Amino acid sequence: MIALEFPPINEILRWKDLFESFNKISLIAVLAAVIGTVVFLLAGRQSAQTAPRGIRNVAESTVEFIENGVVMQTMGRDGLGWTPFLLSLFTFIYLCNVPGIIPFLQMPATARMALPAALALMVWVVYNGAGIKHQGFGGYFKSVLFPPGVPKALYILVTPIEFISAIIVRPFSLAVRLFANMLAGHILLVTFALLTESLFQAKDKILIPFGVLPMGMLIFLTGFEVLVAFLQAYIFTILTAVYIGGAVHPEH
Amino acid sequence: MLTAIVTRSGEAAVSVRLVDTDSTTPTEVVVSAENEELMTMSAEPTSDDVPIEDSAEVPVAAESRALTAETGTVEVVDAGPNPIAPEGKELMWTFGPFLIFLILMRYFLFPRLRKGMDSRYESIRSNHDGADAAKADARAEVAKYDSALVGVRAEASQRIDAARQTLDQERQRAIAEANARIAAKKAEAEAAANAERAAAQAQVSAAVTSVTSTLASLALGKTADAGVVSQAVSEAMQNAGSRS
Repeated sequence: MIALEFPPINEILRWKDLFESFNKISLIAVLAAVIGTVVFLLAGRQSAQTAPRGIRNVAESTVEFIENGVVMQTMGRDGLGWTPFLLSLFTFIYLCNVPGIIPFLQMPATARMALPAALALMVWVVYNGAGIKHQGFGGYFKSVLFPPGVPKALYILVTPIEFISAIIVRPFSLAVRLFANMLAGHILLVTFALLTESLFQAKDKILIPFGVLPMGMLIFLTGFEVLVAFLQAYIFTILTAVYIGGAVHPEH
Repeated sequence: MLTAIVTRSGEAAVSVRLVDTDSTTPTEVVVSAENEELMTMSAEPTSDDVPIEDSAEVPVAAESRALTAETGTVEVVDAGPNPIAPEGKELMWTFGPFLIFLILMRYFLFPRLRKGMDSRYESIRSNHDGADAAKADARAEVAKYDSALVGVRAEASQRIDAARQTLDQERQRAIAEANARIAAKKAEAEAAANAERAAAQAQVSAAVTSVTSTLASLALGKTADAGVVSQAVSEAMQNAGSRS
């Protein structure tokens, strides 16, 4: 038989402090900020007149991806001023997602609710703030709660739905989508890693060859998590851009 | 000494672990429990002990309380807060670095990178415009060359036509001269041939007349009139010439 004991959920999610109030999640978040800063710092120091190569190429590709793939698609040319914010968001989330497949770290910081919640809260403040700044307090909430073109009688239904949708559900869904996807990926990797280990160490020798099956799945899922890390960062960023664009230009 | 580690979720105990803390290699006895009564059971290792490797990453106990006894320690470990609930320290350590990163990106990193990109794009655009201008100039030069080439070709064609006409005229003239020369020589040859023919005819006529006169003299026994014989021979030869 296989002596397989799946650890409690807290054992694969909660980490002891490396020092006072600073655990692995905090370390990954700090590393993400530091690596992001270093990448863009080094990229900025390279000559801009020659064709970009190496780290500058990475940084410029990321900038162009955000500008062309996110900002221009959701806010148009007027939204290019939001590029630094969206670029920071995308880079930071991606660098927090990727450690899920990096040996020794093997934990996406976004698989803990704190990081997605903090970012979603900030996005909520930003898009509501931007909407109020551009339309005024009354104008913004009027455009959110009383969408134009809806028969007045339907406002009884539409206004509470819009309030819940735009003000409450958006940040919640933004945070939960990122968190749940990364947590699911992390649990899947843990599951197949434990199963692989158990089969390879099974007392019953006939079970040992079957260890390659979960190991193959583990390798496949590790590759899949690379895609998920990018995709979730992109989704969070583009939804943020959509929310900001909607708040700033409600007619769109 | 044995330590019972009781994992709780709220008020309910979900598992009890008996740990032999005197052993150099930690050994755990995991006893699943449905109620808290097992917290007070005698902690004796059994043959069903399942060794579990010590992990470097042990879940943190948010709250714990220990009941010390002579025979062992009962440590009640709380399962911790909801695993999906955000923790304050993590909120702080994720929000803080991101905020710093955002500020650096907004005021330092992105503008510097964007400035370099804009500078290069401007340079590329400028070179592109220069290339477009050079291309337009080249096209104008090509058009100018083509128009000049058309003029030169037209002039060459005219000159070729003129030369061809001149050559034709020269040829016609040469042919006419040659024909004239040939005609003159032909006329001379014909005149010579006619003279030769007339001379030969005169000689033949004289010989025939002589022979005819002799034959007439022999036949008649008297000399024939030379004038009559000559006229008769001449007429006979003319008749023979006209028949042939």
